[in-house]
Amino acid sequence: MSDDSANVGRRKFLVGSTSAAAAVGAAGALVPFVGSWNPSAKAKAAGAPVRIDIGQLQVGEMLGPIPAWRGKPIFVVKRGEALIAALNEDPERLTDPNSDEPEQPDYARNETRSRRPDLMVLVGLCPHLFCSPTPHIELKAQSFDEDWRGGFFCPCHGSRFDLAGRVYSGSPSSRNMEVPPHSFESDDILVVGIDEEVSA
Amino acid sequence: MTAKGTEQSKPSLTDKLLGMRDWVDSRLPIMTAYRKHMSEYYAPKNFNIWYLFGVFSMVVLVIQLLTGIWLTMNYTPSAEDAFASVEYIMRDVDYGWILRYMHSTGASAFFFVIYVHMFRGMMYGSYKKPRELIWIFGMAIYLVLMAEGFLGYVLPWGQMSYWGANVIVSLFGAIPVIGDDLLVWIRGDYLISGATLNRFFALHVVALPIVLIALVVLHILALHEVGSNNPDGVEIKDNKNADGIPVDSVPFHPYYTIYHDVPGIMVFLFAFCAVLFFAPEMGGYFLEIANFQEANPLKTPEHVPPVWYYTPFYSMLRSVTYPLFGIDAKFWGMLVMFGAIAILFVLPWLDKSPVRSMRYKGKYSRVALLVFVVAFLILGVLGTQTVSPAKTLLAQIMTLAYFCYFFAMPWYTKIEKASEPPQRLTGRFITIPQLVGVLFLLTILVAVPLMLTNSAHAAEASKVPLQHVDTDFKDKESLQRGMATYMNYCAGCHELGYARYSRTADDINIPHEVMAANVIFDDTLIGDLIENSMDPENAKAWFGAAPPDLTLIGRVRSPAWLYTYMKSFYEDPSRPLGANNTLYANVGMPNVLVNLQGLVSCDDHGTNDPTRCELTRVEGTGSLDELEFDSVIADLVNFLYYIGEPSRSRRQEIGVWVLAFLALMIVLTTLIGREFGKDYH
Repeated sequence: MSDDSANVGRRKFLVGSTSAAAAVGAAGALVPFVGSWNPSAKAKAAGAPVRIDIGQLQVGEMLGPIPAWRGKPIFVVKRGEALIAALNEDPERLTDPNSDEPEQPDYARNETRSRRPDLMVLVGLCPHLFCSPTPHIELKAQSFDEDWRGGFFCPCHGSRFDLAGRVYSGSPSSRNMEVPPHSFESDDILVVGIDEEVSA
Repeated sequence: MTAKGTEQSKPSLTDKLLGMRDWVDSRLPIMTAYRKHMSEYYAPKNFNIWYLFGVFSMVVLVIQLLTGIWLTMNYTPSAEDAFASVEYIMRDVDYGWILRYMHSTGASAFFFVIYVHMFRGMMYGSYKKPRELIWIFGMAIYLVLMAEGFLGYVLPWGQMSYWGANVIVSLFGAIPVIGDDLLVWIRGDYLISGATLNRFFALHVVALPIVLIALVVLHILALHEVGSNNPDGVEIKDNKNADGIPVDSVPFHPYYTIYHDVPGIMVFLFAFCAVLFFAPEMGGYFLEIANFQEANPLKTPEHVPPVWYYTPFYSMLRSVTYPLFGIDAKFWGMLVMFGAIAILFVLPWLDKSPVRSMRYKGKYSRVALLVFVVAFLILGVLGTQTVSPAKTLLAQIMTLAYFCYFFAMPWYTKIEKASEPPQRLTGRFITIPQLVGVLFLLTILVAVPLMLTNSAHAAEASKVPLQHVDTDFKDKESLQRGMATYMNYCAGCHELGYARYSRTADDINIPHEVMAANVIFDDTLIGDLIENSMDPENAKAWFGAAPPDLTLIGRVRSPAWLYTYMKSFYEDPSRPLGANNTLYANVGMPNVLVNLQGLVSCDDHGTNDPTRCELTRVEGTGSLDELEFDSVIADLVNFLYYIGEPSRSRRQEIGVWVLAFLALMIVLTTLIGREFGKDYH
């Protein structure tokens, strides 16, 4: 009988340790198959930060959607005093006026949703179903909004955003447009895709 | 035991799972299938290690299917991009190199285990009645596998891919009357081209795998219908107990599956991973060196041997050198080659012996099998070598021996005296002295004829001795200096077009900013490929040929060759670019390092043969002394060797862990097998 119990203990130990080891092995064997689905060096290179020269950008104008980052259009709008003032006239109209949802880096979680008050950097996609909104920067009445205060209108499903990319209540989108990580290499060079200031 | 009350009211997890199983089983006979093929499939109890190779081939099949599917995710089947996409997998895709090496090692492993599996069948007579269909399905699997291997080898679109495909496809051109048209039809073009590559890709990844899996299913269904043969070749079903179970049998599952196959599989995986992580090229036999150069329809490599698993048949093809009946030798060669495979299909009807296993067959059969194996191995080795008259003669004799084994079989199996097989299984194994004796005899029989023909065709070695150089990827400073030299002196003409600045910088410890500031002078980004702006058309006009991309030169040429080459330039005003090279005579490249090395003159003793040069450095020229120059070249070679396969050090690091793990698994699974196997003895 004692032989049997020794046998049972030995068997339990062997089965347990082998199963554990086999599980480790199976997990290890999965690594290359799972890992190879990550973005490749080529994709990462293509998705690297982009430098945008904003030296020629005038107040009330938008650069974009040409300088794309990771295949997404980037909107860069230069806002003058009037446009900045228009931003927070009537926060009641906005769904998320204080940028509580994490749609922007911390440094852009402020009244103008930007690093520099005059310069708005946005991913030019509506968070609803990812159409690219059209810019309507002037403060004048529009067919889709009598009291338009400048911003973006999505042609797909009619979401409206102000010039800080914040969505107006009553739009299909319930979230603000995304502010990408960005920084300034100099006054004229904007880098999209990287948070920290690059020391020249 | 407190849970007892709740157990009754609430079914346990096991009960639930059993319930689900029964639900499925009443709709699909999974338990019947499980019993028929696993727990109540009774296998002879005297299987030896030869019987592991069938299950090994299943393991390899799974590896090939999985890695193959994963490779298609990044491979581009077009003549323009195929080669680059393979390097993309090797360099840019995370773990891509593991997947690729698994697949390439798997191809060779597949043939190795299949050859052993086939040999076991021949040795123990597993093809004989009533197992003819199993053998035929198996041979069909082998045939499909050969096609699959050939098609797959074309996909990387290297020089061997191209020229191998060219040779094999051209065989069909040997068929009288329709040959030429057939050839164009197979290629879809007037040469092997992107059209050919695309159809080969479709066949390799979709059509043939489906056929292969279907054949494997048929092979196993047929086996489980008649039952396994065994080393004694005795029918175990002739001796059943009261329950109708063969006396000399054990249930396939779990006795063979868990207690025998699993430890065996671990040993197999150990060997597999040893190759994968430490010798994926296997000295150029698993991945041929010339295949690290992109396909070039205008330039045949010096030597176009097929991969090792086709070489016996390739030897037979080459050995037929006489035209017959007004049809040229090429056609007969093809016939012999395909005939050598076709004749295997009819083996069950050639063997007239009353017994199955070689253990009880007579002397003639044993000698014949030995001759067959020797012939097959010799033909295999010859197929990897270039021809000479002596070797061709040997190949002809061996081809004859190969066919004699089959054609004479009905005769010698009938007239020889077979011994009486026992009524029950013997459970005997080959003794160590017997094993050593057989292996020794085999080695002698294979090696001696090969050595004789080799000495008849004495070594035509390179006249310029190669100088050894040490490479060390851990020496980051050497790699950095090597890259600096490369960028200063080589990069103007030679791209490293499959490698990226960023990855190279990371590997050799250069910060990205430093790399960007010192190496990149245009708007190229750090993540981009190391390309140059030289227009290939201009380059061709200037140098006669566009300077080749050097990313893979460290795999094509050995470090010693590169080192010797770069030290073997000399002044030669007769050459268009003013320089010549003793190792690579009449090279179309200027001596770019002349300012470092100084002027070198050649005394060829009036032979006008660059390879006979005695090089002398002109004193007082060059900014470096000889030792300094040697060390610059050594660093450059180290860098080129690194960039040929940047994952090399990581591969070896991972390999150590994988092998250690598999060693542990071998121990654990063997202990389990021993412990639980006791229940059946």
